[in-house]
Amino acid sequence: MIRGGGRWRGWAALLGAMALVAVGVALAEPAWAQTAAPAGREYGDFPIVGGRIVVWVSAQIHLMFAAFVLGVPMFAVVAEAIGMFGGEKRYDRLAKEFTRLLLIAYSATAIWGAILSFALVIIYPRFWTHMMEIFEISVWFYLGLFFLESFTLYLYYYGWERWSTGRAKMAHWGMGILLNVWGTAVMFIADSWLSYMMSPAEGVTADTPPGDIGVWSAIVNPTWMPINIHRIIANVVFGGAIVGAYAAFRFLNASTDEERAHYDWMGYVGNIIAIGALIILPFAGYYLGREIYEYNQQMGITMMGGFMSWLWIIQAFLIGVLFLAGNYYLWVGMQRIPGAERFAPYTKWMLLVLVLGVIVWATPHTMIASRSELAAMGGSHHPFLGVLGVMSAKNTAVNLMILTTFLSFLLYRRANKTPVVPWAKTGTRVQGMVFLVSSAVVLFYGIYGYFVPAVQRIGFSVYQVLAVLITIVVVVAIDFAMGRGAESRGAIRWGQMPPRSQYALFVLAVTFTWLMGLMGFARSGIRQHWHIWEVMRDTSEWAATPALGFAAQVITACVLIFLGLIGFIFWLGGLVEKPVLADVRADAGGAVALAGANADPARGQ
Amino acid sequence: MLLTNLKILAVILGTVTLYTVLASAIPQIESEVPQELTLGADFSAEELVAAGEDLYQGAGGCVACHGLGTRAPNLLTDHAGTGLIGARCAARETGKDCKTYLHEALVQPLAYVVEGFGPIMPDMSRTLSDAQIWALVAYLESLGGTVDVTADDVGAGADPAGEAADAPNGAAAAAGGGAIAGGSTDATEIWAAAGCGACHQLGGEGGAVGPALDGLGATRDRAYIRRAILDPAADLAPGFEALGGMMPAAFGQSLSAAQLEALVDLLAEEG
Repeated sequence: MIRGGGRWRGWAALLGAMALVAVGVALAEPAWAQTAAPAGREYGDFPIVGGRIVVWVSAQIHLMFAAFVLGVPMFAVVAEAIGMFGGEKRYDRLAKEFTRLLLIAYSATAIWGAILSFALVIIYPRFWTHMMEIFEISVWFYLGLFFLESFTLYLYYYGWERWSTGRAKMAHWGMGILLNVWGTAVMFIADSWLSYMMSPAEGVTADTPPGDIGVWSAIVNPTWMPINIHRIIANVVFGGAIVGAYAAFRFLNASTDEERAHYDWMGYVGNIIAIGALIILPFAGYYLGREIYEYNQQMGITMMGGFMSWLWIIQAFLIGVLFLAGNYYLWVGMQRIPGAERFAPYTKWMLLVLVLGVIVWATPHTMIASRSELAAMGGSHHPFLGVLGVMSAKNTAVNLMILTTFLSFLLYRRANKTPVVPWAKTGTRVQGMVFLVSSAVVLFYGIYGYFVPAVQRIGFSVYQVLAVLITIVVVVAIDFAMGRGAESRGAIRWGQMPPRSQYALFVLAVTFTWLMGLMGFARSGIRQHWHIWEVMRDTSEWAATPALGFAAQVITACVLIFLGLIGFIFWLGGLVEKPVLADVRADAGGAVALAGANADPARGQ
Repeated sequence: MLLTNLKILAVILGTVTLYTVLASAIPQIESEVPQELTLGADFSAEELVAAGEDLYQGAGGCVACHGLGTRAPNLLTDHAGTGLIGARCAARETGKDCKTYLHEALVQPLAYVVEGFGPIMPDMSRTLSDAQIWALVAYLESLGGTVDVTADDVGAGADPAGEAADAPNGAAAAAGGGAIAGGSTDATEIWAAAGCGACHQLGGEGGAVGPALDGLGATRDRAYIRRAILDPAADLAPGFEALGGMMPAAFGQSLSAAQLEALVDLLAEEG
């Protein structure tokens, strides 16, 4: 049931047309581009800000939109599956609302992709021509998949009500899966272009004619798959965070209790997705970093110990903010869960672990130092900070932070439940033991790492990570088994969330977006003055890679442009269709308990 | 509602402002582009050392590893009780003086990996010109030793037209030169004037001391040919190992960048 059908259709048609125009522009551009690069002209320009800033900003904003439109479909199909197979239709509605956000953001992605392509053609014609000579065939595949992705998305969204039951619903869900397949394939192709710039295939030199480079060998370059994996996870994180901010915006501006309850729940889901995926993202980052080192030690050293070394201190600070804000949201959220008060005393200790973890993680270690600075420090490292700044300490800190965050989730889940299985006490003790043992393992290898050579020490991080992952798996398994038939201490009072918790969701979204810009700068900046590492030198006036202060200003500009646009898109989305909250409440069988109500105490979350 | 949205805006702006200020407050390090070294004809040792130090601390990227002593030997202060680099370099390889050792360690680093460290150092000739490398050598010699790099080594900045800067990667290594064949960029004139034909055969003509270069372009790329001219000892052709060192290693100084590229073109296309 959709309100205001006529207006909705009008907007939908308009937006669909806009998207098609944008896609058309994007599709028309590459073929034109190859002939557009004037012979002999290496660089174009752009007034006032210069060419590089234009390319940088358009690439970054395109990537932000792309991450959103690739991340959201992943959890949309999962939510749809929960609704379909679990019988909780509120998840189906949620999936549709996710997809509605996606629809308009998709056109923005295409528009920024077209802007980026034009900018590259005009400002870096030599580089563009070179890349097209290598990747021409992959561009055609990219365009074909883009078409498929577009039409699958429209079918997926507009067919939601028509194909809502029986086999048709299953087919509709299949379409959602297909949407993810096309989107992932599109991303893989685009990743091959940018990863080639970082790590061209072995044997390719400045003198190798681009036409002689096999497209497949260029695609499967050493950093391609690590970047693919890292981006898949990061897209989920990013999508969850933006959805959380959207829900927070709706929550804060809600005029009814129903709306507040719905968007409170949606914000919770967004946060769970973002923080849940964030927990595994560092492992993907570690894999990517290792492959960069494997490919070229100099590039790896430039990244971690060269002129970019301070960047990782800022990154640690940002991730610390993410952990703190994510946990804070959960702790505040527990105030609306009956029974959660018994866990309140633990909060301050978890906060302590997180704060200490952030402090250790953000401790500088490998810094570029001059002779006078080395002399002032009395050695190659700071006498005190040098001890805390090593990877042994940092790995220990981050793993304990992950365990603490997982504990927050666990307490949140169990807050309003009383297990009734006869082995409940034993189960809880076993869970506690698993936490203690894994913390001990993490600490042991963290301390032992100071007494062994670096090569051996690096291997310890694997044991620490394994201990954390095993803890998560074992504890969750026990918790699910223990939760069977659990008595409820009362339903979650969705909507009774203090506004400050919603601002935490905004902090999460802004920080994720800023972090994405920072990591974009890191990934691209480690090439330094090379368009393509040691193959094509950047001889333009913008060849020097700027310092972090300047980069931060550009990143902030990108973040504000993106958030401004996505805010406008969300506002547009609100005009298209209001969620049918009464249906959501009815479908959930009262699961979305409204403020002051206690519709179904047995099904709190 | 307006107040709520203003608060949201304040949170967003406050958060990005915090990150921007924080990122601007930490040490600001820019990754510089290595600039072609331009020294006057009668430069002093101090000028050369100063240029080398600039490279070492900046665009050369040396301090990322050699300033700390954890990834690579510490070249700035004493390393493991062996003294400063300028004082210990002459004893590093038997039969090689400090200057020779340091230069070779910069352009063939994998041949001189210090025990206890990994083979991670790149060949600096891929990113720096020969003059820049000599400046680095002078700087390292100055750390506890005597600077004996001369204008003959450096090529005395004989690149007034900036040809090296315009040359493709690797060609920048030939920063000086241009005296051969009166500066002509005709490859056949350079071939004749440099005396290549005395040892090498090309087009069915020439000596048989060194390997014949007919057909070279079919099996070797331009980078290999360029390296073979600039650093003949880097890759000795099979069967000619015993003659290593016979071919002059000074073409990097005697050829201009344009001449070097012309010769590379000749060997790649007609060889």
